Amino acid sequence: MTRSASIHLITPFFKKHRWQIAAGILCLIVVDFLQLLIPRVIKWTVDGLTGYAIGSTGLLTYAGYIVIIAAFIGMFRYIWRRCLIGTSRIIEEGLRLRLFDHIQTLSSAYFDRTTSGDLMAHATNDIQHVRMAVGMGMVALTDSIVLGISAIAFMAYINITLTMFVLIPAPFIIVGTRLFSRRMHHSYRAVQGTFADMTEAVRERFAGIRIVKAYTAEQASSNEISSISREYVAENIKLVRVTGFFFPMMLFFSNLGMVIVLYLGGRLTIDQTITPGDFVAFISYIGLLTWPMMAMGWVTNLIQRGKASLERIDRILQTTPDVLDAPDGKPLSEIDGHIEFKNVSFNYPGTHRPALKNISLTLNAGSTLGVVGPPGSGKTTLLRLIPRLYDVGTGMVLLDGTDIRSIRLSDLRSQIAYVPQEPFLFSGTIEDNILAGGPVSGSDIVSAAEKAALRRTVEHFPNQWDTIVGEKGVILSGGQKQRVALARALIRTAPILILDDPISQVDVATGTAIMNAIQDMVGSRTIIIVSHRISAVRFADTIVVMDQGQIAAKGSHEELTAFDNFYTRTFRLQQLEEETCPQTVPLEPPKPAPVQG
Amino acid sequence: MRMDYGYFEEKKLGKPYDVRLLSRLYPLIRPYRLLFFGTICLIVLITLLDLALPFITKIAIDRYIVPEQSDSMPAQNSPAGSAERAVRLYPVDMEDPESQAIVERHPDLFITQGETVYIPFDRLSRLSKEDLKQLRRQDRSGLKMAAAMLLALVACSLVLNFFQAMIMEYAGQLIMHDLRMRLFRHIQRLSISFFTRNPVGRLVTRVTNDVQNMHELFTSVIAFVFKDLFLLVGIAVVLLGIDVKLALISFSVLSLIVVASFKFANLAREAFRELRIRIAEINTHFSETIGGMSVIQLFGQEKANSRRFYNFNHANYLAGMRQIHVFAVFMPIIELLGAVTVALLIFYGGGGVLTGSITLGALVAFISYMRMFFRPIRDIAEKYNVMQNAMASAERIFLILDSDERILESPDGRPVEKIQSVGMASVDFAYLEDEPVLQDVSFDLQAGQSLAIVGPTGSGKTTLINLLMRFYDPDDGSVRINGQDIRSVKIAGLRSRIAIVTQDPFLFSASVRENIALGRSDLTDAQMSAILEASNCADMIERLPEKLDTTLSEGGSSLSSGERQLLSIARAFARDPDLIILDEATSYIDSETEQRIQEALFNLMKGRTAIIIAHRLSTATSADRILVLNRGRIIESGSHPELMADQGFYYRLHQIQN
Repeated sequence: MTRSASIHLITPFFKKHRWQIAAGILCLIVVDFLQLLIPRVIKWTVDGLTGYAIGSTGLLTYAGYIVIIAAFIGMFRYIWRRCLIGTSRIIEEGLRLRLFDHIQTLSSAYFDRTTSGDLMAHATNDIQHVRMAVGMGMVALTDSIVLGISAIAFMAYINITLTMFVLIPAPFIIVGTRLFSRRMHHSYRAVQGTFADMTEAVRERFAGIRIVKAYTAEQASSNEISSISREYVAENIKLVRVTGFFFPMMLFFSNLGMVIVLYLGGRLTIDQTITPGDFVAFISYIGLLTWPMMAMGWVTNLIQRGKASLERIDRILQTTPDVLDAPDGKPLSEIDGHIEFKNVSFNYPGTHRPALKNISLTLNAGSTLGVVGPPGSGKTTLLRLIPRLYDVGTGMVLLDGTDIRSIRLSDLRSQIAYVPQEPFLFSGTIEDNILAGGPVSGSDIVSAAEKAALRRTVEHFPNQWDTIVGEKGVILSGGQKQRVALARALIRTAPILILDDPISQVDVATGTAIMNAIQDMVGSRTIIIVSHRISAVRFADTIVVMDQGQIAAKGSHEELTAFDNFYTRTFRLQQLEEETCPQTVPLEPPKPAPVQG
Repeated sequence: MRMDYGYFEEKKLGKPYDVRLLSRLYPLIRPYRLLFFGTICLIVLITLLDLALPFITKIAIDRYIVPEQSDSMPAQNSPAGSAERAVRLYPVDMEDPESQAIVERHPDLFITQGETVYIPFDRLSRLSKEDLKQLRRQDRSGLKMAAAMLLALVACSLVLNFFQAMIMEYAGQLIMHDLRMRLFRHIQRLSISFFTRNPVGRLVTRVTNDVQNMHELFTSVIAFVFKDLFLLVGIAVVLLGIDVKLALISFSVLSLIVVASFKFANLAREAFRELRIRIAEINTHFSETIGGMSVIQLFGQEKANSRRFYNFNHANYLAGMRQIHVFAVFMPIIELLGAVTVALLIFYGGGGVLTGSITLGALVAFISYMRMFFRPIRDIAEKYNVMQNAMASAERIFLILDSDERILESPDGRPVEKIQSVGMASVDFAYLEDEPVLQDVSFDLQAGQSLAIVGPTGSGKTTLINLLMRFYDPDDGSVRINGQDIRSVKIAGLRSRIAIVTQDPFLFSASVRENIALGRSDLTDAQMSAILEASNCADMIERLPEKLDTTLSEGGSSLSSGERQLLSIARAFARDPDLIILDEATSYIDSETEQRIQEALFNLMKGRTAIIIAHRLSTATSADRILVLNRGRIIESGSHPELMADQGFYYRLHQIQN
């Protein structure tokens, strides 16, 4: 139970609620003492009964004492539960909020390398472990110390020699607990490890179900899962060999105390050294001691688990965002929207193939840039660098002549309206999703939706703008989601508009309507459009053709059709497709157009 | 992954589950009923041991520590409260000469009544240590016996508890293994459309976490239910056996406790349920935030989102406090009632001791048993919670086991002979109603021929393959192999004649060898090296640290996409299929690797029938036949020269690409 460095995460809570905690602990101590009084009352009763030295009034008095003591115990129990367990809930809330706020500051690269499952586990399991360690841990620790020591004191008051004998098993319990809890921890880790392996193996086989079926490998795949599952069973049995021995062992030691009381205490009673009442009280105290001794084992586990969880949480909180505000980050108010890429190269973290190689590109304020190229050529990466979802590897991106890394992040992003490739909707209404928290009036929503060719669709919904879209927008089709994401960007009057394949999931007619609306904005802001449809970029002032992270060609539509093979071929191919099927409704999730040299 | 359940699914939780679910669990237990029976026997034994412990103390008190007089009580033992106070007497064994000597030495301390000599209890302390020891020699040896007995029982309890835990866990784990495998096999058998509708994460949760929850039900809950139930009944029986009147008095309060416990269980369940819903909301919001993080950051929504999260988080806090309140009120109430029982025992039982209707030891035993009685009752709510969780999981598991969405295999499915011809006859197909994907598709391909399918994205090329593999069945028309409808042949037989080479092969986190063999365990080393040679994989595998036994991590993400395709070709070779289905790659591959892939493919298709989804027209050019697919219909078909001569869609496509 060494103090871990991560404890600093929760000490402020302890400080802030110290009075509440103090009151809780005080009540807990009072409860412990009152609990120890009851055996005293029973002792008096038994002694009275042994010598027939008591009448019904005496019995009634003792019975009354017990009820009164119990009533006080109940009252103080209520208070400590509220104070101590309540504090653990406060810590849970505060810690989770802090984790959440921190995660929101982390950059895209972090989410690329961390699975959301892991993060969710931290947000729920780990925080609950910390809560348990703090709440029940605090209670069990206080209890085992206070109740343990005072029960021993009460016993010693009756007879010191007997107390010493009764405590013989205690060191075994404490040492045993420590030894076993370490082994338990190891076994538990092994079980968790195999469980994770099993989960991954099952996931892989379900994710690759087509291959499993196509290759009639069902039997082999079942066998594989079966063997991992058996391994999991074996690890569990190993764990139970430890726990199944540990808990009965603890019970055994505590019962051993009982045997000692019966034998030695009984003899002392026979020898008239202690009274029969003392003997019975001793038995009660042994009963009361069992819990603190067991709790000591339990609390070690609880606290160790909590500590490990707290460390994991701390590790996340220690993660600094890859994309950081410069210490002297400049505020930014009004910009023209002049963008320049200067010798920009970029690798995604953990990869070796450069996603962008030596890109230099200038975009005047108010001009429009189109970006085309085969999948994986770096189009989306290029866009992501502008709002600093990632920072450039070498070179720099300049906005109105300033390196964007020296601009305050929130100011930079507020100048940009961005439509990502995969539209992401939040559960909530369509209106919430379009507004995205911005203070905009209702008429703006309608006009933004109009531009995104969404207005008529939404007005056909029974609840119109108040339609609840569900988690990730489940109730909407891919095209509808894309148009909501588009409206979300169009409602902002940011000087820079970035569109990553904005019409990939809508039919040609809708796509044309959207592109017309976007063309109307030309000149009023700087626009960058990535698209696999040439028709969506042909109006741009400049079009770049990307290939393997480099700019393969650059020019206007007319210039490119005059000399670039890839561009021309793609354009003509798409014309042919659109001509033969003018109202194509995508039947499959969007895929890049089948074009290849 | 373990948090995939959403808010809505969670809302249903906490409803009382159908007991009929439990009856469905029985078939799972059946194979292990002996183990189960064994563990229940052990539980009964352990319970009996638990019950015996206070009883031994009772006997020790009554016989040796504070011995009770025999029935012939001295006259002065009048009821409590009377003017003359009663005195507890200790009978002296006059047979023993040494004891006799003591009596003779202290005639003032002893009372003689007929044959028997007594000494009042409170006068015992006036004897010297040695005299006392002598007088109570038998008590001391009896006590030794009782203590030895207790020690033996306690040791027995240790051993039995250990075995009980082991057997229980063993049975529980084996049952869960069976259930897990049954579920896995069942899910694996379901049709592809089931997989497209259900996210993989959810299915995985069923097989792993939900089964784990059921395990809790099997071990903890069943053990506790049996143990607690036995214990409660056992205590009641023992109490009635000791003293009926006192037992009934205790039961009168105990019934109140039971009522309070049920009320508590109800409130606690509500509190737990509310907490679960709140936690689910937090999870949903958390995972949504992670998923949409870049949107939140791009739109500067961190603060607003954090405020929303604060509300969910605070609601969870409040629910937590309500739960604490429920526990903080009820636990003390139940314990107070327990204290009232003890008080009643002291008053009535104490009175009984005074009148001699019960013994002191019996009273002490009563108080001990009362304490035992509370342990199980206190845990009721917690166990109920575990039970609810397990039942929710059971329901989800059975829901999947009950779904039987399979491609139906005809009962008299014929084996598949070597493929002589493959084709489609007027096939219509739609994934969703009113959105036809294939319409009136017919073609016919003879063994040894190659067929290229050309067409824009979304024209139905992949669907065509899905039907050939019988991942789906056509709505109308038929897919035919050797002139037979494939619905009349064995699915496994059909698929074993076909190998599919996809552009992004799915690789498992297993060794390269296993990935190539994919379930075929009968490949000899010679065959394997022939496969590697023919598929141009040999060099690449030579470079891997442990050659064929190199484990591919994370689905082979360490390999380049060209290497992955080569492996997928090797995989097809390992099957030695009659028919090759090739989904040509669109992704970028360097020209050297490309050359190797082309060679490998050429080797693979030699002498075999092949259907190729061609993304490059150059591939199509060399095929024997070409189908041009557009919007689910075959708009042109024929050989390359024929199609070029027609000057239609294919011709124009060709013109553009060259």
